[in-house]
Amino acid sequence: METSSAQAPGGRPSAEADAASAGAAGGPLIAIRGLSKVYTTAGGDEVLALEGIDLDIRPGEFLTVAGPSGCGKSTLLKILAGLLRPTSGSVLLRGTPVTGPRREIGVVFQSPVLLPWRTVLQNTLLPAQVRRAEMGAAEERARELLRMVGLAGFENAYPRELSGGMEQRTAITRALLTDPEILLMDEPFGALDAMTREAMNLELRRIWRESGKTVFFITHSIPEAVFLADRVLILSPRPGRVVKILEVDLPSDRDLDLMGTDRFGAHTRQLRALFGTKGGIG
Amino acid sequence: MKPRLRRRPELVSVPVFAVAVVGGWEFVVRLFGVSAYVLPPPSSIVMALARGFNTPIGSREGFLLHMGYTGAETVLGFLMGSLTGILLGTLLSQFQLLEKTLLPFIVGFQSMPKVAVAPLFLIWFGFGLESKVLIAALITFFPLLVNSLVGLHSVPEDRLDLMRVLSASRWQTFQMVQFPTALPFVFAGLELGVVYSLIGAIVGEFLGGERGLGVLIMQMNLVADIAGVFAALVILSSMGILLHVVIRRVERRVLFWAPREWQQTGA
Repeated sequence: METSSAQAPGGRPSAEADAASAGAAGGPLIAIRGLSKVYTTAGGDEVLALEGIDLDIRPGEFLTVAGPSGCGKSTLLKILAGLLRPTSGSVLLRGTPVTGPRREIGVVFQSPVLLPWRTVLQNTLLPAQVRRAEMGAAEERARELLRMVGLAGFENAYPRELSGGMEQRTAITRALLTDPEILLMDEPFGALDAMTREAMNLELRRIWRESGKTVFFITHSIPEAVFLADRVLILSPRPGRVVKILEVDLPSDRDLDLMGTDRFGAHTRQLRALFGTKGGIG
Repeated sequence: MKPRLRRRPELVSVPVFAVAVVGGWEFVVRLFGVSAYVLPPPSSIVMALARGFNTPIGSREGFLLHMGYTGAETVLGFLMGSLTGILLGTLLSQFQLLEKTLLPFIVGFQSMPKVAVAPLFLIWFGFGLESKVLIAALITFFPLLVNSLVGLHSVPEDRLDLMRVLSASRWQTFQMVQFPTALPFVFAGLELGVVYSLIGAIVGEFLGGERGLGVLIMQMNLVADIAGVFAALVILSSMGILLHVVIRRVERRVLFWAPREWQQTGA
């Protein structure tokens, strides 16, 4: 693995050195150690999806994960979410192993997964209902979150009346309702048109900065990976291994103009080059 | 009025077709002097209907008593069959071993024409209402069992993942996600079931009984009251349409969220 020798642009120390120093200062939020996952296909073949993943996720960081299709990004997310068990290795959330779904973790899936018979508000309230929370307070919070993501006035709309962007915003509100510390997002904007996607990226950055949550965000868009992240984790084609962790050296106050700057371009070029040597993104 | 007709030309074409068929039928029967024992003209069917309804309520000669009887058998059989079908389907969907054990038997029963057991039911449960209700229930049961089972198994994996992430209990997942997801399938089954139920009731009545439109049809056939038989058929199809419309109304209410295709095709 070439991680150790990697030098981020701007002369900052490598990702591993950073991770190590973060570890010294209170430890990672999530520590992934030697994680591998083997799938057994319907035909009985064994497929190695992830191999030897070591990763520290720092508290409060925005980590994006980029890699070609089928590199096991989603598998990694499902393991973090407690939906899948790794074949070997471990995932520690503040030192305790993740063996199933955890309250501290909220998940936004590739598709919005809204229940079509529930309104926007009712969909948002689903987690509170499942946890038998006090519904009055939950509804107040849901309405506030919906206002924050620009869905005020759509509380009583049904999913079929929403655009793709609005559906995904509802899904994000639902994930935020119970105020999880960690947000796992699996290509949530992949199905959106380019304009909506950029708007959603801006909004997500803003929500993240306001809430101080830790975000683990999968994408296969290189500009999106750079624009959103503090760090970009790059995985290789199957079996997924850590190719590099790229520190994004951009101001934390970001707008869409940033994408036209040389510094932004330097980051995306670096990512493209990494994919180029690893067989390309696809 | 005009733009509405342009949008829905069938509002004109359907009545025109009906009038053409009935008129043509009347004309051909009169023109060729077809025997009323073979094919009565529509006018005499209408007269038979008028005669049948113009009798004291509760009279064995009139239609109302028999309609009520057949209707009661159909509705009771439908309710019994669909409820047990949905319940068993739900049970099987929740317990894999139970499903795997019973499925071969269900498939076996399903490929058998259910009306074939009707004669047995008459021996077991007598010539009264009960045997007809049970025949109707039996043939309603299968589409509902199969459809609810298929529906409950058709829940998209991501919806289940969502509930897993929320640490939902099995009951919560069933009640908040699985059952509503299965409802379009259940309703497709109910639409089939209500028609099947009417068939079951009539088949039961054919085999023996004292009241009901099926009994009436057999008796009229025996005395060659063919116009009367046609009149009973008209009533039966009206009953079938009515039951179907009721189900569709409920369905549209309950499945307001489902895409239209669901309400038209079925599983």
